[in-house]
Amino acid sequence: MQTIPQAPFHNLHALWFQLTGTLCNLACSHCFISCSPTNHALKFVAPETVYRYLDEAEAHGVREVYFTGGEPFLHKQIIPILARSLRVAATSVLTNGTLITPAVADELASLAATSRYSLEMRVSLDDVNEARNDAVRGKGALRRALRALRLLQERGLPPIVAVTEYFYEAQETTPQEPGGGSGFYQKFRDFLLENGIEKPRLKVIPVFAMGKLHPSETGAAYVTPGMMHGFDVATLQCTKSRIVADGGVYACPLLVGEPRARLSENSLSESMQPCSLYHTACHTCYVTGMTCSNY
Amino acid sequence: MSYRRIAVFGGVYSNYQALAATIEDARRRQAEALFCLGDLGGFGPCPDRVYPLLRDSGVQVMRGNYDVSLAEGLTDCGCGYTDPRDNYYAALSYEYTFRHTSEENKRWLRTLPDVLRVQLGNYRLHMCHGSPRQVNEFLWESTTPDGFLGKLCGDYEADVLLCTHTGIKWHRRLPDDRHAVNVGVIGRPENDGETHVWYTLLTADPDLQVAFIPVCYDYEALARDMRQEQLPEAFVETIRSGWWTTCLEVLPGKERARGRW
Repeated sequence: MQTIPQAPFHNLHALWFQLTGTLCNLACSHCFISCSPTNHALKFVAPETVYRYLDEAEAHGVREVYFTGGEPFLHKQIIPILARSLRVAATSVLTNGTLITPAVADELASLAATSRYSLEMRVSLDDVNEARNDAVRGKGALRRALRALRLLQERGLPPIVAVTEYFYEAQETTPQEPGGGSGFYQKFRDFLLENGIEKPRLKVIPVFAMGKLHPSETGAAYVTPGMMHGFDVATLQCTKSRIVADGGVYACPLLVGEPRARLSENSLSESMQPCSLYHTACHTCYVTGMTCSNY
Repeated sequence: MSYRRIAVFGGVYSNYQALAATIEDARRRQAEALFCLGDLGGFGPCPDRVYPLLRDSGVQVMRGNYDVSLAEGLTDCGCGYTDPRDNYYAALSYEYTFRHTSEENKRWLRTLPDVLRVQLGNYRLHMCHGSPRQVNEFLWESTTPDGFLGKLCGDYEADVLLCTHTGIKWHRRLPDDRHAVNVGVIGRPENDGETHVWYTLLTADPDLQVAFIPVCYDYEALARDMRQEQLPEAFVETIRSGWWTTCLEVLPGKERARGRW
């Protein structure tokens, strides 16, 4: 049997929280952890747990904190949690944007204005075409996300739009001179500008063949020991991040709930050990240089 | 050797006009030594013009990511951008700079250190380009937490950390009289609608004083040279307007919100 390669742990650049487990108000057809309004497989993380890990992360010199889900705005304590996180480090929320009302946007703007560190709101979209986007994300998803983008921008919080390559090939992201070209990236920039988002910020994410997009039995690809020769392992985000979710601390935001990716039940320090690159998702990160971080 | 007053700058980006003005200003303010934290090329015109200015003035220079790339003949600048639009402009700039930097100057870059350690009064200074742990790590004010900086000071046995790379200056006072300073860059304005650039004057008196010094220079002359060299008009616009038009996507939210684009 072939040995499974490992990724060393270098430093805690980013700490993630899968705040709302697998619960989401949407049920996107490509969700890598199959979140939905009825998926309770992974439970919410309690505020006290978040605070304990934030303290531990600060002592380790963490640079960034991320909150994801599920949909993080389903957590009733999201605002005080963000306030606490912003006392430690720059903080990002990965959201579908549909629950960002004017009142919520006001609270976020207030948090951002009083914090030394950046608060980033990262709103997910799949296409600029309403029918195509909503076929993935549910009816009304595009219009509600656009409303969130405008609300955030109007309050001085330039949002980041996260786009998967679900409808597009990676090569379509080829950079184009502003105003020119017809690639996927330019299409989203133009769309955001046309809709009044004056500082369009885009984060392009590859699609992972997992969750609702199962790899075929024969087509699944894995990282092999031979692939590690001459490879800069520091490009893998599991060398510099950990994620807290229901059940403990995991190596990767994509592998929450997976027993083989769990590195500790309750200790960040204990989780700072090499992790196994056993999953097909590891292969996607290896090939694409993917990072879930903003930059 | 211990200094009392030094001048520190980064990101020359081939802006020989600003470099000459900075050196003159620092001398007038009686800086005992001048330090450059790297990235001599990129963005501006005629990259070979900055080398004699630095060498003849005795500036102590270390390498940034751009200098490492030029010295080693790498295929890109290694700035650490992740956005395609940022990388598009970075590639244009690097290709031009690589082609117009002489072999002699590339050889000189190979002789430069990657870190500088300096004693300023009672303070141990650790000078780096991006961060002490990574040459192209971006230390923005709004994404660089106190806990992280405290850990770096401990790990690298420094009272003052000095860096550049982002293009926007800041100073943070940490517990126990430790400090972190991003010294800014002199190669392009810092996205505030002003055409001047910034360097940093540090004085041990005996307590540390950090002063950011604005430097006015002939930016219209630089803009003419940039056009002559057919560099992108977007770069010229930045020099003339003080607003960044490229390499924007790497900015965190707070810094991005302050700019025009």
